[in-house]
Amino acid sequence: MFELSYLKAKSLSEATSFLSTHPEAKFLSGGMTLLPTLKQRLARPTHLVDVSALAELGGIEAKGGQLVIGAITKHYEVAASAVVRKVIPALAYLAHQIGDQQVRNRGTLGGSVANNDPAADYPSAVLALNARIVTNKREIAADEFFQGMFATALEDGEIIVRVQFEVPRRAAYEKFRHPASGYAMTGVFIAEFDTGTRVAVTGAGPGVFRWTDAEAALAKQLAPASLEPLVVDHTNLNQDIHASQEYRANLVKVMAKRALQKLLNT
Amino acid sequence: MPGQLHAAFLRSDHAHADIVSMNTAPALARPGVQAVFAGSDARAAGYVRFPLMSNFINRNGGAPIKSDRPVLAHGKVRFVGELVAMVVAKSASAAQDALDAIEIEYRDLPAAATINDALAKGAQPLHAGVPDNRSFIWEAGDADAVAHAFPGAAHVARIDVVSTRVVASPMEPRAYLVSYDAASDCYDFHTQAQGMAMLRWQLAQLTGLPEEKLRLHLYDVGGSFGQRSSAYPEHAALMMASKKLGRPVKWVSTRSEGFLSDAHGRGIQMSGQLALDKDGNFLAARYDFKCDMGAYLTPTGCSGHLRNVAACMTGVYKTPALYGDFSLVHTNAAPIAAYRGAGRPDIAYVVERLVDKAAADMNIDRAELRRRNFIPMTAFPYTSMTGGVYELSDFAGCLDKALKAADWAGFAHRRAAAARTGKLRGIGIGTVIEGTGLGRSPSDQIALEFDAQGKLTLCTATLSSGQSHETTFTQVVAQSLGVAHEFVGFCSSRRDNEILGNGSGGSRSMVGAGSVCQIASQKLIAQALPLAAEALEVEPSQIKFAHGVFNANEGGKSISLEALARRLAGTHPHPMNVLAESSVGSTYPNGCHIAEVEIDPETGVTQVASYFAADDCGVVINHSIVEGQVHGGVMQGAGQVFGEHAVYDRGSGQLLTGSFNDYYMPRAGLIPEIRMDEHPVPSTANVLGAKGVGESGCTASLPTLVSAVMDALRPLGVPELDMPLTPAKVWHAIQDAKAQQKVKAH
Repeated sequence: MFELSYLKAKSLSEATSFLSTHPEAKFLSGGMTLLPTLKQRLARPTHLVDVSALAELGGIEAKGGQLVIGAITKHYEVAASAVVRKVIPALAYLAHQIGDQQVRNRGTLGGSVANNDPAADYPSAVLALNARIVTNKREIAADEFFQGMFATALEDGEIIVRVQFEVPRRAAYEKFRHPASGYAMTGVFIAEFDTGTRVAVTGAGPGVFRWTDAEAALAKQLAPASLEPLVVDHTNLNQDIHASQEYRANLVKVMAKRALQKLLNT
Repeated sequence: MPGQLHAAFLRSDHAHADIVSMNTAPALARPGVQAVFAGSDARAAGYVRFPLMSNFINRNGGAPIKSDRPVLAHGKVRFVGELVAMVVAKSASAAQDALDAIEIEYRDLPAAATINDALAKGAQPLHAGVPDNRSFIWEAGDADAVAHAFPGAAHVARIDVVSTRVVASPMEPRAYLVSYDAASDCYDFHTQAQGMAMLRWQLAQLTGLPEEKLRLHLYDVGGSFGQRSSAYPEHAALMMASKKLGRPVKWVSTRSEGFLSDAHGRGIQMSGQLALDKDGNFLAARYDFKCDMGAYLTPTGCSGHLRNVAACMTGVYKTPALYGDFSLVHTNAAPIAAYRGAGRPDIAYVVERLVDKAAADMNIDRAELRRRNFIPMTAFPYTSMTGGVYELSDFAGCLDKALKAADWAGFAHRRAAAARTGKLRGIGIGTVIEGTGLGRSPSDQIALEFDAQGKLTLCTATLSSGQSHETTFTQVVAQSLGVAHEFVGFCSSRRDNEILGNGSGGSRSMVGAGSVCQIASQKLIAQALPLAAEALEVEPSQIKFAHGVFNANEGGKSISLEALARRLAGTHPHPMNVLAESSVGSTYPNGCHIAEVEIDPETGVTQVASYFAADDCGVVINHSIVEGQVHGGVMQGAGQVFGEHAVYDRGSGQLLTGSFNDYYMPRAGLIPEIRMDEHPVPSTANVLGAKGVGESGCTASLPTLVSAVMDALRPLGVPELDMPLTPAKVWHAIQDAKAQQKVKAH
C-alpha cells in the first residue's frame, strides 16, 4: 500500500466537501474492494474518507410500497433484517449469499452498487426491483444507473445515500458461484410486479443487464416452461479460462428457471 | 530484531527476455533505502547454482543438466516472477516504494510456457547448455521386453493425460529473516522449512559456505506440501544484504508473490499403453512422461518426478514387461518442486486411468480386472521391472474391505435413484501404492534429554507442518518408556543444529524419525538400568524393566523411570541422556479408495456423494492423526481433480491464475464425509512396522475421483476427460456427447 491519510467523516456534508477539494481522495465504506486494491498498490488515493459510521447513510425502512436501505448497511444487516425478510425475502437471501462471513460483516450495499462489479450480486436486485438510487445530489433509476463493467451514472464526488427498492409481489434470486472466487458467475434475480416481471442477470456479461426476452415470455405465462424455448445470445457474454460464453449463456437460462421455480414456490 | 531492515523484490513481468539495461540508482536515492542489489551482485557473490537431490544417470552416462540460476537474474529472465533486483530499506513500505524507481529495459524472447511449446521444433532454448529444452532424458524398465510383448496382445488400451501444474498455496506465506554475525562469520536464518538438514545442505551448496556457518532457527510451519523443501533465491539474496549492511534483513512474501514464485507442483504430461490378453491379464505396459520443470531445476523437482514415478510404475499389478521414458523439460514458468506425493499421485493417476480404460474397452468390471492382475501375497517381496521392491501387501484384502464398505454391488440402485432427480451418478475406484520413507540424510537421529529438573525432552530435526510430531513422536517414546504422555516434551529445532536427520517429506516422518524414537527409548532403558540398580543397591542383573518401572527381582524394591530421572537430575549432562540413530528402508503403503459422485447435467457441477478409503499404512501409531492425514490428502487431490490449475497464457507467459479470484481451491463442502478403514500389514522395513501415510490420500483420490466422474459420464458417450473437471468442462462434454448422439441417430 502507498502512504495515504485517513479521515473519519463526521457528517455527509463534511465528507462530500472534502472530496470536492481533494480530487484524489476516495470514500471508504466497507472497503471490501478498495482495500485489496490498495494492498496491491493498484490505486493511489491521497486520502480515505471513512463514511461507514454516518447515521445519514444508514437505516432500513419499509414505507409506501418501498423498501429503503441506507448505503452503509452491511450485507449481514440486510440478510438478518426482520423488515427485509418480511418485505423482500429474496433480497435478504441474496445478501446472505454475498462473499463469506467476513465480507458480509464489512461490505455495504452502497459500496457494492457504486462499484458495479460485473460479478457482484446486488446490482441484479437493484435492477430487477426497479430501485431508485438516491445520492447526495439526485435520484437515479436503476435502468439508468448501471453502465457496464465498473461504470455507473455517479459523477465525481457523488455518493449513494440510500437505495429505494420497489416491493414486488414475489421475487427470487439464484446464483451460480464462480468455482474459484465465489462471485456470481451468473446470478439471476426475478421480481414479479403487478405491472409485469423483471429479470436481471449479473455475472454473465460485462455488466448487469435485463433479460428482456424472458420478461416478455413471462408476461404471457409465469412458468419455467415459458423460458424453455428462449435462446440466450452468448456473443455479448464474458469468456475466460473458467467458462465459455456458451456455458454462461446456459447458466443464464438454468439459473432463471431455478429462480422462477423458487419464486413460484413462495 | 534490533536494527532490522526490510527487503522488497523487483520481479520480472516478462516470461522470457534479455535484460538490456538496468539502472538502480534512482531507487537508491529514495527515502529510507539502504542498498539495492542486482544480478551482478549475485554473480559476484557466486550465488548462481542450486544443488539437485538427484543421482540419476541415464543410459548415455548423462546426468540432469544443472543450469545457472543467479539468485537475482543476470542478463536474462526466464519466468514471470523471477527475482530481478532487491531493495533494502528501513521499512517494508519504503522498500516497496523504491522498487518503482528501478529503471529496466527488457528485450523479449519467444516464451514457451507449456511443455509442448518448449519441445516444439524451433522453440527458443531457455538455457544455453540445454538446446532442446530437455535437461535430462532418462528411461526405466526394458524397452525390448515391452516391444516383444505388445504384438501378441488381444487388446491395447491407451490414454493420454496430464497431471496439471498446481500451486501449493500453503496458508502461511514464505517469510525469512537473515542475520549475519561478523564476529563468528555465521548467518542466522529464521525461516520455514520441512527439515533442518536438507535446507542447510542446499544453502551450503548454493553459497559455497560450510554448513556450520549457517545456523537455522526453525519453527512450526503453516503448511509445506513439499513447497518448502527447497532453498529459495530469496534466502541467499537476504544473506548478501545482511552481510553488506551488517544488519538483519527481513522479507515476508505477499500472496501474489507466492503464486508467481513459490515452487509449483506436478506438471507431468503422460501417455500410457497397456497390453492385455483376451482374459484381461496384463502383458506389458509402456509410458511416456514429459515433466514440466519450469525455468530451472529445483533440488527436489527432478528426483521426485523420476524416482517416485519409476518405483511404482507397475501399480499394484503384476506386469511382466514394463518401460517408461522420461524427459525433464524447461518451460518459461515457475520452477516445479515436490508437491504432496511428488510423482506418486501422478503415476497412480495414469496407471489407474489406463486400467479403467482397459476395463471399459473390454467390458470387464473395474474391480474384477484389478483383482485379476494384483500382485498376489505369495509374490512378495516383489521386484518390478522399473526398480520398485514392494514389501508384503494385501491388495485383494484391501479391495474386498472397500468394496463391501462402499457397497460396490448395490451401486445400480443409487444410480437409478439419482437419475430420478435428474442427476448422473458415477462410482470410481482406485487401487494404488506408493514408495515412501526415503530421505537424503543417510539416517535419522533422536535425542532424549533430561533437564535439571529431570524433565524429558525429545529432540528431532524433522519439522512439522501439520503432521503432529509433537503428539505422535512423544507418544512412541511415552509408550516405549511406559511413562505418561505429558512427561515427554518436544523440540524440533534445537539452536545448536546438532541433531541430524531428514525433514518431513516423502511420507517418512513416522517411518524414519518415529522409528528412531522407539530405538532411542530402548537405548535409554538399557542405559538407565545400571543406574537404577545403583539406586536400588542391587546387581543390574537383578533388575527388570516393565511399564515405566525398574523392579528388583527380590525384596520388592523398585524405582520408576521418572523418579530415577529426577534423582539423577543434578548431574550434567544427565546420565540417562541418549542420542539414537538409525536408517530405514522404503515402505510401500497402499490402499483402495472408492468414491461416488453426482453430476448436475444442467450446470456440469460435480458433488462428491460418498468417499471411502481402505488404507494399509502398516501399524498405526495414532488413528486420528492417520485419519486426518488421509482426509487432508484426499481433499488436496480433490482440489486438483476439480479445479486447481496454474494456467499460463501461451503467448505472453503471464500467469492467468495469480490469485484466489482465479485459482480454485477446494471447499470443505465438496466432500461432506470421508470414511476410512485401516487394513494394516506391518512393514518389516522399520521397528514400528509403520508405512507412510502423508501422501496416500492424494495418491488415491486423483484416480478415484476421476474414475467416478468418468463412470457417470461414460453412458452418455463422453470420451476420456482430464483434470481439472470444472463445471464448464463437464457441461461442454455432455453437450458434445449429446450432439454426437444426434448425428448418429440421423
